[in-house]
This record gives sequence, structure tokens and C-alpha cells, in this order.
Amino acid sequence: MTAGLDASALPQQLLNGLMFGAIYALVALGYTMVYGVLKLINFAHGEVFMVGTYTALFVSWQMGYFQGAPGMTRATSPAVLLLMLVASMIVCGLLGVAIERFAYRPMRKQARIASLITAIGVSMLLQYGGALVLPVSPPRSILEQVNPYDGNLSIPLKPRNASLAASVDKAQAEEKLAALALEQRIKQEGVSSEFDLSEEGKKIRAASQAAAQVSRDAESRYNESGMSLNVPYGQGIMFLATLGLMGLLTYLVMFTKTGRQMRAVAHDFDSASLMGINVDRIVTFTFLIGSSLAGAGAMMCATFLGTQLTSFVGVTWGVKAFVAAVLGGIGNIPGAVLGGLLIGVAETLVVWAGGSQYKDAIAFVILIFVLLVKPGGLLGSAKVEKV
Amino acid sequence: MKFWAVRFGSIGLAVLVSFGIGMIAQGSSGTVSRLLALAGLYVTLAVSLNLINGITGQFSIGHAAFYQVGSYTAAFLASILLSRGVISNLGTPIPWVLVAVATSLVTAGIAGLFIGLPSLRLRGDYLAIVTLGFGEILRIVIQNTPQLGGSYGINSPKAFVVPYVWMLTFLCVGVCRNLLQTAHGLSFLSVREDEVASSAMGVNVTRVKVAAFVIGSAFAGAAGALLTFNEGFINVNSFTMDVSFIILTMVVLGGTGSVTGSIVAALTLFILPEVLRDAPAMPLNAVLGTLAGIALLVGTIRLAMDHKGLGRSIWMPKTYIGIGIAVAGGIVVSVLANCLPALANRTIPSAELRMVIFSAVLVIMMLLRPQGIFGVRELGLKSFFRRANA
Repeated sequence: MTAGLDASALPQQLLNGLMFGAIYALVALGYTMVYGVLKLINFAHGEVFMVGTYTALFVSWQMGYFQGAPGMTRATSPAVLLLMLVASMIVCGLLGVAIERFAYRPMRKQARIASLITAIGVSMLLQYGGALVLPVSPPRSILEQVNPYDGNLSIPLKPRNASLAASVDKAQAEEKLAALALEQRIKQEGVSSEFDLSEEGKKIRAASQAAAQVSRDAESRYNESGMSLNVPYGQGIMFLATLGLMGLLTYLVMFTKTGRQMRAVAHDFDSASLMGINVDRIVTFTFLIGSSLAGAGAMMCATFLGTQLTSFVGVTWGVKAFVAAVLGGIGNIPGAVLGGLLIGVAETLVVWAGGSQYKDAIAFVILIFVLLVKPGGLLGSAKVEKV
Repeated sequence: MKFWAVRFGSIGLAVLVSFGIGMIAQGSSGTVSRLLALAGLYVTLAVSLNLINGITGQFSIGHAAFYQVGSYTAAFLASILLSRGVISNLGTPIPWVLVAVATSLVTAGIAGLFIGLPSLRLRGDYLAIVTLGFGEILRIVIQNTPQLGGSYGINSPKAFVVPYVWMLTFLCVGVCRNLLQTAHGLSFLSVREDEVASSAMGVNVTRVKVAAFVIGSAFAGAAGALLTFNEGFINVNSFTMDVSFIILTMVVLGGTGSVTGSIVAALTLFILPEVLRDAPAMPLNAVLGTLAGIALLVGTIRLAMDHKGLGRSIWMPKTYIGIGIAVAGGIVVSVLANCLPALANRTIPSAELRMVIFSAVLVIMMLLRPQGIFGVRELGLKSFFRRANA
């Protein structure tokens, strides 16, 4: 392990963070839209996400992508990927609508805490009910089975230092020589090198190890002298698809009649209903859109990131996406996207700084910090509660 | 004179009952003794969370975090004492247990202060998330602290703590009950009912909220310390989000604000899984069918409530149709589940149903009776007689 921060890895980490963050953003949109309209934290959103990952898995199985299935190759899968995406979106959308209709709508007249407890209950019911029925991290992720986009897109930022290349070659040649000497010694003595305790044996072993170290150092110096960004094709496509879906959502919310109604309901629930907007229909529609975005995120997460599937997979993703929504200003659509990207970047930065065991905690630290300093979030405005 | 007689009499009675339970525990097997201790701990946890959620109307869903603070404080203290040779591996003497409990009470109270302060700025749902987040941060930090045993856990010498567990329970219940009968308690209730109005009436909302957090979490911390000495070994898995949700379910089921409700619900929900533990494995399709049937039944009752209002209308003939639909739906689902090759003929151990039952109870309770079984009422001899006289 190299101590300190490796600056040459930073651009790559930032890029990875953005790609992760795009998924967080996609899930965060669902939280923020529902909060905007109903002022309710939809705790079950993470479980909708979970159902989306499993839908993708089951569709891929139905299409023949399970272990040992004959005749299916990765090359034939783009159409299947699209099918998985659409299926996940539809299933999640319908699930979201059903949850709203049967669990949240009856609670709408009650205190907000009651709806919140219902949301927690639905979330737990889906987690533990799912654990009864769903297979836990089935062998080989869908990533390996379906994803046709192998390999990386490498974007060179700075060429490697050519003069260092020579030193790498030299060091590698020396390493080989030393290794050869060690090998010969082992052959001569007929003992494995670890048990060769004579002076000479120790010296040869030490020399070999030192040469290997020098060669490794030279190589890493050579690699670090250049800089390039690696984008796995699958994740690149995922990122573009996410941007596309966000664009579609923006169009839907800003430029259609339904979108305008949605914004009106978010602005003032009661007045909107007095103005002749069918509020129930808009709420249903909001849940449909928000949940299907979570479904899209889930499918891409399962397919391109290879997340291990359990019925609790939605908890971490859901909570982090919620933090993203709060960070951007809950109820604010551009805010959710910004928050998602920031959370993704923050997580990869924590890993980059050497605190990978604290990766899951950073989202909560950010959350508490935001709530203490700017409770309205980055793009939101804290509303004063009127009596 | 009568005042003091009642006070000292009830304190004496509580101590006697605690030691009585202790003697029962000592006379019975290790399992029963452990269950008796855990039951007391859960009652303490539920009642102390009820102080925050039910009586003061704040919304904390991370109560396990304070439980964890107390538990790890005690374990850490025990490990220091052990390394100094003050206590031996064989067991912790009771005076040291009490010292550890007091320390845990203080540290968890400080943690409560730490969480209570932000609650001044945050409304219900945000506060919920902060308490949840605090628990998660704590878990991750402890997992990465070798002094606290990391993800493996930490050992501490055992002690026989059943009587002290129940004394703590009686103390916690007593504090909450007495609080509700004083002017201080009224200010707690007024904050629950309307923050703005109560501050206009001169209630120091800040102080009340923080006080609720500190008292509630201090009790949870003391419970955690006793858990440490009862189990002899703790790790972070004893304090996951699930534990918080279980405690929350107990409070919600009993009626947010009703101390006796929390006690009854905590005991019921604690005993239920223990009964399930010994039950035979159940066929999966039957479980799914039952779940679907319950869902349909709740749905139809809810519809009846919406259309006819509360009260006797639930038992109108339509309800029987609803029950019929529910039974039919359940059977259909279980038959369908048996047709799927992945689900057919599978059985699941009853113990795994624990959390499913908890969450189903939570949702059903909210849909049919959001105020909990007892609502804000207390169950007691007085209310019993009043009902009879009326």
C-alpha cells in the first residue's frame, strides 16, 4: 500500500463516483417526487428498487441466461437488456402505485407520523417477506451472464513517461535474474526456499525479493507517470441511459400538462384540488414515474455493477438515495440529481482517501451535517412552518 | 403520611417483585432465566422509547443506538476492570455491575443529548432519519474500532442480573407514569399536541424535547449495560436497525403515549417469537396464502370503515363477505404458489417469520387503528372501575 493520497488516481475515482452517483440520483428522484407531492418519506422506495433488481434477474433467467443454459451468448443480449429495463420499470411502477393505493392513501387523513410508520412497515414487510420467497444472491451475478459490453474505454489524459519505460525493462530483467538464481539454489539444495536457513540462501532470497520490489516500484512509477480514464463500456452506457431518463423526466415535469398539474399539487395540495386537478390521479402518476425510475436504476445496478442480490439490497441504496435527495433539497428535482452525483463522488473519495471501511457511513455524516447547517438542502429552501 | 406510605410501599413492592422474579429465574433453567431478563429489557426499551415518541411526540427510530452505547460502555468498562485484575473472568460482582449500569446511564444520556439537540431544528421525518443515521454511523465506527472488539464483538464476565433488570424496568415505568401526573409531564404532552401553541403558553419546548431524549436514551443505555452482563458477549449484530424497528413496533402497537400499552405490547411481541422458535417449520405456500388472506381482510375492513365510519359497522353482513373474499384469496394464492416450481413444497422455519409478523402487525395496526391498541389511555384498575361505573 502506498501511503498518502495518489493524485493520479483521482480523475478515475471522480469518474467512478459520477457513474455511481447517477444511479443514486435516479433512485433519489423517486424520493424527492413523492416527498414533493405528499410530504411523505417513502421508506418503501428502497424495496421497490429491490424488486426491480429481482425482476431484471428473473427476466434474464426467462430469456435463458442462467448458468449452463445452452445457446445464449452475450452478443445476442442488447435486446434482452432493453426488455429487462422495460420489465423492471413496469413492475416497479405498478408496485409503487399499489403501495400508494393500499398503504398510503388510507393514511392520508391521519397524522404524518402515522404515514411514516406505515411506510416503515411496508418496507420491512417487503424485505422480510421477500427473504422468504426470493433466492439470495444466486450464483454468478447477471453482470457476468448478460452484460455484452466487456472491456474498457480508455481515455488517455497524459502519456506515460517514455524514459521511465527503459528503467522498468531494466528492473524487470534484474528481477528475472535474481529469481533464476533463487530457483537454482533451491534445485541445488533440494529444500524449499523458506526453510533454507544458511547464510548464502538467505542472501539470495533477500536479493530476489529486493529485485522484485525495485521492479514493482519502477512499474508503478511508470504507470503513474501517465494518466488515463477507464470507463467500462457497460457503465458508460448506464450513465448515458440515466441521463436520458432524467432528460425525459424533465420534459415530462416541465413541458406537459400532467407535469404542470404535478407541480401544482406539489406547490399546494389543497388549492390544486380546488382548481379542478384530480389529485389522486396525480399522486398515482407520481408514484408510477418515481418507482419506474427506481426500477430502471435497479436493473442497471444489477446488470452493470453486478450488485449481490438479497432482499435487503434496497436498504443501503434506498437510504443513500434518500440522503442524496435531502442533500439536494428534498422535493426539488434538479436537487436530487445534484445530490445523487455528490454522494457518489463523496463515497469514492472516501475510498480513495483510504477509508473504505467508512464508505457506508459517509452518506449519514453528510446527511447530519446538511440537516444541521442547511436543512433545506443545497437547492431547496427551508420553509417556515405557518400556524 | 398516606402519601409517603404509598410511595415507600410501592417502591418496596417493586423491589420485592424484582427479587421474586430473580428467584424464579435462579430456580429455572438458563434459557428461562435469560428470557426473563430479556423480557424486562424489552419492556424498559419500549417504555423509554414511548417517552420520546409517544409522550413527547418526537419521532426516533434509532433507539437501538442508545441501547448499543450503554451496552458497549459497560463492556468496555468490564474489559478495563478485567485487565486491571479488579474482576475475574468468572463473573462480575454486583457492585461493579451497578457502577457499569450507572456509567452507561450517563454515557447514553450524553448520546441522547447529542441527538436531542439537532431535534430542535428538525421536524418529525427528518429527525427519524437522523436517529437512524446515528445508529448506522455508530455501528460502522464500532465495527472498525479494535478496542471495542471490532466486528467480532467483545466479551465481558457474566453476572446474574435478572432482579436488577426488573428493578430498572419498574424504575423506568415509574418515572414515565409519575411524569405524566405532574406539571412537567403536562408540558411534555403539550409539546406532542402542538409545539407552537405550547411555546406560546410558556413551555420551554427546547428543554422538554432534550429532556425527553436524555431520559429515554439513558434508560435504554442502562438496559444495554444489563444486557452486556446478562449475555456475557455482545457484538454489533445485537443492535441492528431491526432491533430499533422491533422496539418501535412495540410502542406503536401499544399505543403511542400509553405506558401500560407499551408494556403489554412489549411483552406480547417478545413472547410471540419465542413461541415461534419451537414451532415446526411451515409450508411456504400456506404462509403466503395466510399473508394474502390477511391483506385482503384488512383491505375489506378498511373499505368498510371508510364507507360506514367506525364502530359496529365493521360487523355488518358485508364484513362476512369480506372474510369470505379473504379466505378465498388466501387459498388461491397458496395454490398458485404451489404451482410455481421455485416455491412448491418449500418449508420455512417458523423463527424466520418473526420479522414478517412484526412488520405485518405494524402495517395492519396503522391501517386499522393508527392510535394503537390502547391509544393514549392507560390500562389500570382505575380505568377499569370507571368503565364499569359509567
